[in-house]
Amino acid sequence: MDFDAIVVGSGITGGWAAKELTEAGLKVLMIERGREIRHQQDYTTEMKMPWDMPFRGHGDSDLYDRDYAVQRLNRHFTEFTQPHFVNDAQNPYQTGEDTRFTWFRSYQLGGRSLAWGRQCYRWSDYDFGANARDGHGTDWPIRYADVALWYDKVESFIGVSGAKEGLKQLPDGQFQPPMGLNAVETHVRAEIAKRWPERCLTVGRTANMTEGKPDEGRAPCQYRSLCARGCSYGAYFSTQSSTLPAAMKTGNLTVITDAVVEALDYDPATKRVTGVRYIDAQKQCQTARARIVFLNAGAFNSVHILLNSAPGGLANSSGTLGTHIMDHANTLSAAALMPGFETHTSFGNRPTGVVIPRYRNMDQMDGIGHTRGFSFQGGALQSTWTQGNRMAGIGADYKEKLRHPGPWRMVLVGFADCVPRATNRLTLDRNKTDANGLPQLKVDFAFGKEEHAALAQAKAEAAEMLTAAGGKVIMGFDQPGPGGTAIHEMGGARMGYDPKTSVLNQWSQSHDIANLFVTDGAQMSSSACQNPSLTYMALTARAAHAAVGMLREGRI
Amino acid sequence: MPKIESPMARREFMAGMALLMAVAPVAAAGAKLVPNPYQPLLREVAQLVIPRSTTPGAGEVGVGAFVLLALDHGLEGTKGLDHAAWLKSTLGAGFLAQPLAKRQAALAALDARAFAGDAAAKPWLAIKRLILLGYYTSETGGSKELQYVHVPGRWDPDLPLKPGDRAFSSDWSAVDFG
Repeated sequence: MDFDAIVVGSGITGGWAAKELTEAGLKVLMIERGREIRHQQDYTTEMKMPWDMPFRGHGDSDLYDRDYAVQRLNRHFTEFTQPHFVNDAQNPYQTGEDTRFTWFRSYQLGGRSLAWGRQCYRWSDYDFGANARDGHGTDWPIRYADVALWYDKVESFIGVSGAKEGLKQLPDGQFQPPMGLNAVETHVRAEIAKRWPERCLTVGRTANMTEGKPDEGRAPCQYRSLCARGCSYGAYFSTQSSTLPAAMKTGNLTVITDAVVEALDYDPATKRVTGVRYIDAQKQCQTARARIVFLNAGAFNSVHILLNSAPGGLANSSGTLGTHIMDHANTLSAAALMPGFETHTSFGNRPTGVVIPRYRNMDQMDGIGHTRGFSFQGGALQSTWTQGNRMAGIGADYKEKLRHPGPWRMVLVGFADCVPRATNRLTLDRNKTDANGLPQLKVDFAFGKEEHAALAQAKAEAAEMLTAAGGKVIMGFDQPGPGGTAIHEMGGARMGYDPKTSVLNQWSQSHDIANLFVTDGAQMSSSACQNPSLTYMALTARAAHAAVGMLREGRI
Repeated sequence: MPKIESPMARREFMAGMALLMAVAPVAAAGAKLVPNPYQPLLREVAQLVIPRSTTPGAGEVGVGAFVLLALDHGLEGTKGLDHAAWLKSTLGAGFLAQPLAKRQAALAALDARAFAGDAAAKPWLAIKRLILLGYYTSETGGSKELQYVHVPGRWDPDLPLKPGDRAFSSDWSAVDFG
């Protein structure tokens, strides 16, 4: 099989690579390791009620202990969404002796785009400039101005709802109308702004549409907030709802599912990759050839493929392949009771929370023990029957209490910038193989004093803000969950100016191999404290455009 | 097969069958399904926690069987202790034969001890959580006692809440974090 381009992976960035490359006229092969999931036809639990499920949505705990020991720790993992997560027993990985790392994965057509959190935040130059400023990691060879137009393109296409706030640390974008704040959030936003003008609580910018795109078969959000089951309305961005139909429409896309890419084929004479080797559904080894290859297998799996493609790793003349992996340090910074809103309620399920963007270490270095940012996501909500879990009592009065909405509470979850460190890295454990006989990935990862300091400050300031708004703080934490908790694992093939110290150049293109591009989370040189997927998409579209130009000019 | 009149009754029947199939290990073909010996106790205890009001109680809608299924599969961290046997011995062998007022008092006392932090009463907390889960995710508890809207179709961020308004079992944020 010969193609112009091969895209490895079909998730958030694989879909974008396929769309951009096919729309430019290239014949593209997309290879997905998991099974096919068809839009609208294969979202098997989408319309199920809790009483339709054997375990009422909570799932079989015995089964999860055995087969989903890691995935079950994901907040989005339920009996309804289980089909969109991997079986851990069948997809093992290793961790270093002192490492706790929960690797949440979705091996299927659409990858994690089906189950993602949908939060879409632009990076600013505080983020692209972070490494240059404090000396951690290596400087990004790009700045906001290089990406801004690509953010525009991605936001417009995928559909992002949100409010423009004019913040330099969180640039505005091409937004559909925002979803509203509830009564408590509106109050907290105002109280925070009064006391701390530099802190802004705004509704989460989310890839859930408030306006449909009928020409693309996408309806606006129905406010179910059951997104991770799959959405037949196409109201949130996924590969299935958005990029895949666009790529298919060109007639230039071929998709193979159930095919695990083992390695890239490399020709040392020409210093080019010639294609990929993969194991098909019948466990047969196959090859496909193309003029360029885009790796979009998900940060850690793209690194796995490169490490497995040559002794010492392919595209690794710098020796940095697999190093400087990151994940946001993440914890519940504060939860508070919010009295005074007993006559207010809401209707529907808003599929996003609120965000308080970074406000520390911007023009003044005012972080305590850390040099980067933290931000909060969360929201205010009313209790329902689950408050009975904390309530003594039985009988008629107890049932009557649970019949009505309970008190309002508000939560703020902190996300701290993760410093890139050489010691946080991926390697292959050649003594341990998976069902395909491929070496397992080994993760060595630990947060450092910067992340702990940021979360300590986040805890104190979350409590301070909720208290100032009249809340009664009932809990808060300053210790991050295990690495992987934020599901923002990234890095391992970092972008940089210098081929001696980085894997990719400013076009997400290998310094060593001109026709190889890595445009998923692996390319990240720093983490910021925003959800990263929007930036991955923008960088993918940008890299695809660059690659097509280089092909046309005969440079690759 | 019993004759099924309405689609809803049929659905409840099928759900009941699914539960029964899951609860009772299917032995050799043709073997009779053996009812779980704790089913009457769990049915009654569920009904005491959530009794009939204008809507049916928890025991009436099969929550006893759900709790046994859930215990059998270790939900709510119940692995390692036979919670049903513990409940039977804690409430005493004659519990079911006692008059309603005594059954209520005995269970209320156990509940109070558990919420007061008595370690000996702690397994009750998981059983109670499973009763609540079983009831408020049943069609009756979730959509008759409370309100359930699968496709709201709109987001109204601020509406007046009037006394007597029923909560939504389909408010997923509230279920998760409330």
